Order: sequence, then C-alpha cells, then structure tokens
Amino acid sequence: MMKPSLWGLKKSPWVYHVALSPCNNCDIEILDVLTPRFDVERFGVKLVGSPRHADALLVTGSINRHVLPRFVELYRQTAKPCVVFAVGSCALSSSMFRDSYNIVGPLDKVMKEIDPAAIVAYVPGCPPKPEAIIAGVVKALKAL
Amino acid sequence: MTSVLDDLRSELGTRLLQVVQKNPRRAYVKLSDADLPAAAKFLLGRGGRLATISGIDTRNGVELLYHFAFAPEHVMVTLKTLLPKPLPRTASLAGWLPAANWSEREIHDLLGVTFADHPDPRRLLLADSWPEGVHPLRRDFKGLPDENRGSAAGAVSPAP
Repeated sequence: MMKPSLWGLKKSPWVYHVALSPCNNCDIEILDVLTPRFDVERFGVKLVGSPRHADALLVTGSINRHVLPRFVELYRQTAKPCVVFAVGSCALSSSMFRDSYNIVGPLDKVMKEIDPAAIVAYVPGCPPKPEAIIAGVVKALKAL
Repeated sequence: MTSVLDDLRSELGTRLLQVVQKNPRRAYVKLSDADLPAAAKFLLGRGGRLATISGIDTRNGVELLYHFAFAPEHVMVTLKTLLPKPLPRTASLAGWLPAANWSEREIHDLLGVTFADHPDPRRLLLADSWPEGVHPLRRDFKGLPDENRGSAAGAVSPAP
C-alpha cells in the first residue's frame, strides 16, 4: 500500500525550477518541456513560482559556495516528500567545473548532507534533450 | 597605431621600460607601477577607453595588464606592470576612473593585489563564507580545507 503523500506526489507533480549557477542550456531545455511542443502541463506537470507549492525541484548547474546556502533554504521550504531532479551533467557531477575552487560538489553528495532521506533522480546530458527530461521524470515517478 | 604609441613615447619617454608591438593593432607597454597612473591618464586623454584589467600570477610577481581600446583607430594598447610578491600592492585608478572599480575589486579577490585608496574595497566575487586572505588564482593556492566547504549538514529536518 502506497503512502497517500507519495500517491499525491505522483498524480500531478508541480515543479520548481532551481537554477544553481547553470550555463542556462539546461534551463532552456526545461522551458522546452513546459512550452507547447512538449507541453507537459497536459500531464499535470506545472511550473510553480514558489518551492512551497512544489512537489519536485528541477536543479540545474554545478553547486558552488555562493548558491549552496540558497539551495539549502529552498529545499527546507519545499513541502516533503519531494523529488529532487539533477538535470544535466553539471548537477550530476559538477562536470568540467569539478576542480574549481568554488565548487562544493555534485548534487547527490550535497543532498546527502542536507537530508539523507531525500529522493534524488538523475537526468544526464549536456544539456539533456526535452525527451530525456520527460523520460527521467516518468521513470522517477514510476519508481516511487 | 603608430600615432598612439608615438604620442605615448613622447609623453613618457624613458619611463616606458619596454614596448612590444605584436601586430599593427596591438601593442604592449611595460612600465613600473609608479608610472602607470600617468600613462593611463594620458591614454584616456588621447581618446582611449579602459576595456578591462587582467592579472596573472607569474613566478616573478603578480602582473597586471590594463587594456585600453581606441575605437576610431581600431587599436588596443596594453599597459603591463609587475608587482612583487608576497604582498603585491599598487595605486588604485578607481578614484578617477570608474571603469577600473570592479576590475580592481575582482583582482583583489582572486589574486590578492592591494589597491591603495580604492573607494570601495569590498569583496566582489568570492562567496561570503570564503576565508579572508586566501586568493584562489595565486600559484600557491592548493584548495580550501574541507571544513571550509560551507557544509550543509543538519540544515534540514528529515522528511516525514
């Protein structure tokens, strides 16, 4: 028997877009997912303006010292349970910025420190295609 | 090109330590940091614009490069000056040249150059949690210790 909170999470996940110093390519692909050609709003996936309304966070970009406290605050304000999506190579692995003095670490490592029970899903690509983002979200929701 | 360089030569004479002309549109002029404000002032009066300031940590000291663009002539003139380590220090141009303000703050953050009499010497680029006196683009920078990473542990109560 599935928890009611998870059942609700899967029905129409509202997403909040967290851009943690990305180069904006992943953000453009996310916009493609939401706008008419792919139009995931017909499945109930809706972009919301506040993490308090969100079921999922779409995180793009490599996490650096400047954005880490902001991200912690955003995650703290998101209603639990929620799914954190790492979208793109930078969020997955810090990509080519991994040795930079300003980088804190890949998203899953950071999430383990913030909240060990967090649900993290990965969408690789640089940037991931809109199809890949949709597939990643579907797979993650199926796995819940 | 020749005219800008010639004018600079006739203005500053032997205070120019070295003049290298890479191509008809690009020249590098080496001078001591004491002579740099005078040269910068002259180039500005000659119609130049401070495009940016760059810096690099070399073996012999921190080198600053002030790039001046001359739009009508399609010419770039770069003033180079070498500041001795371990405490590189020079006069700030930001008091009378606003274009230098943020560049100097950035160079102070990343390379640790002190700009004397800077009007607003606050931190520009580095994160708030970054320790004072550590400059990431210096040759001796080997990364921050892990405890300085700005840990996120314990920030959030676990999910229900």
